Parts: sequence; C-alpha cells; structure tokens
Amino acid sequence: MVSEALNFVLQLLIFPGFLFIICLAFFSEWVLRKFVARIQNRMGPTYTGYGGVLQPFADFIKLLGKEDIIPAFAEKSFFTLTPLLCLALPLTAIFVLPIADHQALISFEGDLIFLAFTFTMLTIMVFLGGFLSGSIFSMVGGVRAATQLLGYEIPFLLVLFGPAIPASSLSISKISMWQAQNNAWGLWTQPIGFGVLVICLLAELELLPFDIPEAETEIVAGWNVEFTGRRLALVRLGRDVELVLASAILVDLYLGGPQQVWIIPPIVIFLVKMFACLLLIGYLKTLFARFRIDQVLSGMWKYVIPAAMIQFIILKLIW
Amino acid sequence: MSGSTIKIIIGPQHPALKEPERFILETEGEYVVDVKVRIGYIHRGIEKAMENRTYLQGLYLSERVCGICSDAHTTCYVQGVEELLGIEPPPRSRFIRVIVAELERIHSHLLWLGIAAHEIGFDTLFMYVWRDREVVMDLLELVSGNRVNYAINTIGGVRRDLNNGRIQKMLKGLKILEDRTKEYLKMIGREQTVLKRTVNIGNLSKSDAIKYGAVGPTARASGVKRDVRVDDPYAAYDEISFNVIVEDGCDCLARIMVRGREVLESIHIIREALKKMPDGEIRVRVKPRIPPAEALSRVEAPRGELLYYIKSNGTDKPERCKIRTPTLANIPSLCKMLVGGYIADVPIVLAGIDPCFACMDRVLIIDKEKRKAEVWTLDMLRRYGREWYQKR
Amino acid sequence: MAFAREALRNIFKKPITEKYPFERREPAEGFRGRPIWDMKKCIGCGTCVRVCPVKAVEMVGRGREAIIKHHLERCIYCGQCAESCPTKAITMTPEYELSDTDKSRMLHVYERK
Repeated sequence: MVSEALNFVLQLLIFPGFLFIICLAFFSEWVLRKFVARIQNRMGPTYTGYGGVLQPFADFIKLLGKEDIIPAFAEKSFFTLTPLLCLALPLTAIFVLPIADHQALISFEGDLIFLAFTFTMLTIMVFLGGFLSGSIFSMVGGVRAATQLLGYEIPFLLVLFGPAIPASSLSISKISMWQAQNNAWGLWTQPIGFGVLVICLLAELELLPFDIPEAETEIVAGWNVEFTGRRLALVRLGRDVELVLASAILVDLYLGGPQQVWIIPPIVIFLVKMFACLLLIGYLKTLFARFRIDQVLSGMWKYVIPAAMIQFIILKLIW
Repeated sequence: MSGSTIKIIIGPQHPALKEPERFILETEGEYVVDVKVRIGYIHRGIEKAMENRTYLQGLYLSERVCGICSDAHTTCYVQGVEELLGIEPPPRSRFIRVIVAELERIHSHLLWLGIAAHEIGFDTLFMYVWRDREVVMDLLELVSGNRVNYAINTIGGVRRDLNNGRIQKMLKGLKILEDRTKEYLKMIGREQTVLKRTVNIGNLSKSDAIKYGAVGPTARASGVKRDVRVDDPYAAYDEISFNVIVEDGCDCLARIMVRGREVLESIHIIREALKKMPDGEIRVRVKPRIPPAEALSRVEAPRGELLYYIKSNGTDKPERCKIRTPTLANIPSLCKMLVGGYIADVPIVLAGIDPCFACMDRVLIIDKEKRKAEVWTLDMLRRYGREWYQKR
Repeated sequence: MAFAREALRNIFKKPITEKYPFERREPAEGFRGRPIWDMKKCIGCGTCVRVCPVKAVEMVGRGREAIIKHHLERCIYCGQCAESCPTKAITMTPEYELSDTDKSRMLHVYERK
C-alpha cells in the first residue's frame, strides 16, 4: 500500500509527471522553433547546448531573474493568478492523457469533459488576465481571445467528442486503447474531424493564422503585454505545456495513443507520434498570413462548424 | 464628430510604425471614421545643416536623409547642382546613375514587400523576401562599394565605373532576382490568407489619388499613370524604353502587385541600360564655387516623386535647400485610405504607402526661451515667411 | 496554402544565415572600409580635411611636417578624402570590423617617421 502510494507520487512528480512534462515542453518549444526557422531558411536557436537545445530553458531562467512589475492599473489578484493558472491548467489536463502507458496517470470515466473544461477555462483566464492588466493593448488582446473562443469552441468540442462515439466511452485512456486494439485510428475513420481539430488547436494555441490575440504588429503582444519577469516566464512555460497538450490530444484521440509495437515501449511510440503532430502544427503555422478577427468568426461559423457537424452526423450514421 | 466615437492613438511609439509619428484615429466600434496626423516627431534639421556645408559635403548629407532611397536623394541633389552650374554629366555616368537607381528600387521594393508581409503576420514570406533581397544588396556593394550609402554620385558624374566582371556578376544576380520575384508574385496571388487581408483594404480611388496628389507606387496602384522617369526624364531614362506599371485594384493588393511588377521592370531597365551604355568618361571636374541661381530637380525615388529645390548665392555653400520627400506627398491619401477601414487593418494600410517619416519631417519650431516645441499651422508659417522676407 | 511547396523545399536547405563572428565574408572588391594614410606620399595640403563632410580628419602642423589625426568614430567611409587626395596618399582598406568600446582606440594618428 505504502509502496503503491510512493510509486504514484513518483510517477506524478517525475515520470511521466511534472518533471518529464516540463522537460518535454521545453524540448518541444525548441523543436518548433528550430523547425519553423528551417522552413524560413534561418538558423533558429544555435548556441545554448547542442544545436541550441537548452535555449528555451535559458530563456526561462533569464526571465525568472528579471524585474517583476505590477502595473498600477492592474487588478492585482488576477494579475498574479493568471500566470499561475496558465501553467497549472494545461499541466493538470495532461495527467488525464495516456502518455507512457495505455492508462493515463489519472483516468476516470468522463475525463474528456474535464479536458474540454480546462481548455475553456484557459481561454477565460487569458481573457481575464488580459482584460484586467490595465493596458489598452492587453485589453484588446483579451477581448480578441474571448471573441475567438466563440468561433472555435463549438467545432472543438464536437470533434473532441467524436472519437468517444465509436469507443463508447468518455475516458481518453479507453478511447485511445480502443483505437489501438481495433487498429481504427481516428485519423482514418474520421479524417474531417482530425482536420477540424488541428484548426481549432491552432486557434487555441494562438498560432498563425489565428494569432490575433497577440498580433505583434497590431497590439504589440496582446493579452500578455504587461506580464514581466517571473509571470512572463510562467506564461511562456504554460504556452509550451499547452503545445505538448495539444499534440498529445491529437495523438490520443486520433492517432491511437501510446501503443506497444513489437518490443518498442509505448512511450517511444507516443513521442514519435507527438513530434509528428508538433511538426504538422509548426508547418501549418508558417504557411499563412494572420486573419482578421471578424474573418475568423465568419470562417469558423461558415466552414468549420458545418464540417464538424457533418463529421458528427456521418459518425452517428455508421455507429 | 458625434460623442459616440472613441479616440485611438497610434504612435508616436507603436509596433506598426518603424518611426515615430502620431495618428489619432476616431473610431466607431471597429471602424475608423476620421484620422488626424501629427507629424514632426523626428525632425532632424537637415535642410538647415545643408546651408552650412559646401556643395560636396552636402551631397553626403543628402545621402543620409533616407537610408533606403539614399541614391535617389543624391541623384536629385547632384542634378540640382549640375543645373546651377549649367553642366551636363557625361553619357556613361548617366547610364550608371540609372543602373544604381534601379538596383536601389529593387532593394527598396523587396524590403517593402517583406515589411508588408510582416504587418499581416506572414513572417515566412518576410524571411524569404529579405533573404533574396541580399542578392541585390550584394550587387549594390559590388557596384558602389557599400551596401546602404552608396556614394556613387558626385557633382558632374559618378565616382565609380562598371567593368566587365562586375557587369557579368550583375547579370547573374538579376536572373536570380527575376525568378524569385516572379515566383513570389505568383504565390501571393494564390495565397488566400494574404488576399483576405489585402483585397479591398485601404481603398484609394483613381479620382481621390489625383485629388490628394498621391505619388509613386501609391498613385500607380490606383490607376494613375504618374512617373517622373517618363513625365520628366532625367539621367538616361529618355534613351531606355520601359513600361510604367499601373494597377487598377486601388487596394493594398494592388500596391503589392505594383511594387512586385516594378521590380521586374527595373530588372528589364538595368539590362537595357547595360546594353546601351556607351564608353567614355564618367565624370567632369567642376569648380567648388557656384554662381547665384535657382534650380528645381525631380527624381522618381522608389516611394514616389522626390523634389529638391536649391538656391545658390555665389559662395561654395547653398543658400537654401528644400527637400520634399514622397512620403509627405502621400500623407493626405493615407488619411483617405484609413477612413472607413477596420482598426485591425491600420498597420497594413499604413505600410501601404511605404512611409519614411524620418525623411518627411521638416518643420518643428522650438522656442528656446519657453522651452516648448510647437507645430506651426500653415497660416502661422505664411505669416512668418512674409515677415522674414520683409526684414531682409 | 500556396506556400506549402516552397516551405517544404526549404526544410532541407542549409540556412542562409552566416554565423558571423565565426565565419567572415570577404567584402566585395572596392569596398570602402577604414581609410589609411601613406605618410610618405602625403604632402600636407589639407584637402582631406577640407572635403571631409563630417570633420573626421584633423591636421596638426603644416606642409611636409603635418600629422594627420583620423577620428574613426566620426568617419562615414564615403571615401571622398581618398578621391580628392592629389597624391593618392589615402587608400580605403576593406577593413570593416571597426567598432570599439574605447573612444581612444578610435583615434588613428599618422606621424612622419
């Protein structure tokens, strides 16, 4: 009993818990930066560690040492809370996703709903943090983030629950296990859903062409313009964890999750799939110009929501 | 203005502005209904400094009015001084001036294309275009000996000749540039997200472009065929046949396309100039003292019509040197473009005229005793001017 | 998606960036870098002092005994001095790494031996 509890705590803290996830987050930021740089014919991070692999970590450390400023007009409680929740929410959400094993660290019937909840909470935190920072730019950024949420929320939920229907379970672990066992990856059985999910994740992660809430040339850095020092470090780390979370969702819901193939351990398979998803996101991120907020809303309602609905109807007809 | 409008102030410091200038936007919801521009934040007193330098030293100062169109400024300046002196530069030097001017136009337009892409968030295109712009920068370094301030013009000709090796390298570089530019224009025309952000954005109709006196690519994107190279040929432009690029789109996409196609046309002009270039002297020696006279010189800078007015008084220093840069001429049209658009489109519309505020800012009155800087209205300037001339 | 192919092509290309302090590129032939004075040829006429647009050249003494002081921090590398010099005593070298944190090192004095 004691050893079991100890084992659980170790799993939670080290592998595949906090430490592993945070290292993975830093590493995936590096992968994304390097990949985008290569596409754009640049070097990317180069000098810190081998090929600049320690650069995200170095950035983090540097930001921790910087001056921490709370603007006079900011709502202090939310200004402190937002960065913390920006990191805590995706980190918590990642525990319900199976990473190293068929079974997630914390798994219960209905953890898919919990996942959807954390994603919406995250955007609401972004909105509140931006809105209460007391700067015009962050206010506009926060409002834009919330407006964008109205666009991608519905298709996002639709395609998030799509894979649950054939597996007839609301537990992510069971869904991915079902897909792995029946060899029916979501990617093949519901390709439209996969596409919609990728689009929605791009919007959720505020990557191009949906980086409207932090559009650099329009509103400087958008909702996180007032964050400095430790707070900015946490926000950025939260962003990286979200990146891992997004690719992990793609893997677990649509690519069969961590499977055991021959003697290769499931974690390796998972990481391979995850980085493939990450590269896909990075590739898409470089191909577009930024939309305007009204174009995102109308485009989402005109094309993406119907697509998600059609996928849902097809699923219902088959199963 | 009704009470329902909100003032949004862009600048003097804003990420969409590379240089400080202030735009006060009256907005109703997401729409801009009125724009007021406040210029003068980066006035550098160049015209006054010109009066304290000899003509030759003034040449290098004029080169530094603008970092991007430095060759256009020197060409305009030396043309004015040559007119004062009543001399004609040798034919070969006039062709070299054309070549450097067109290389500079390519570099300026590619730079602008990158900036425009960055303004709409398309950083990949920005990186690609600036990567290929290095080719033309290297060519400029090869021709003139420097990447930015070329110092190729001098009073009475040019300072550096083109030899065969340089011409061969140039032709090779131009080929790369031509291919790449064509490719980019094709891709931009097909990329939906770019079209979404540029089609029907920042409209300036043809009649408005004429009414507000737009110049350069801004005017040509609105269908106005206005180009100093054709209207009032200088250097060797009258001996080279080329088209004036005109687009009828009147929007930001048209401005992208005009500049892109002008790059191709410039490549054509350079090839033509290299073919027709005669042999001979590249400069004539001139005296430092210049007889009293007045001269007005016009040049088609990459951004539009550039104008120099120089007055000499018999010494080796000019009495007055007035510069009017294309950005100043395009500001009224810019206000027209912004009105009626979205706030989110302000950066790309602003970038659309290729603004260069540092070149533009001329008048800022600083009262030493009151320690206050103020901007004069036109009436105040007129009154001051009248009094100043009466006192003389 | 018009850039999809172009982007894919670039993944496998070598980055265009030069790792500057580790790899130096040769400037083009005729590049205008730091001007140097050949005092054997200099006749101390003071033309370089007169034509310099930024007053970067200073001459101490007169004629053949003159010492030239070149203030690098003011120099704009236009090359007008080299062009105007009647004895071609000034040459523009291709040296371009000329910045320094110490102002005194920016002053180059050319004395007669």
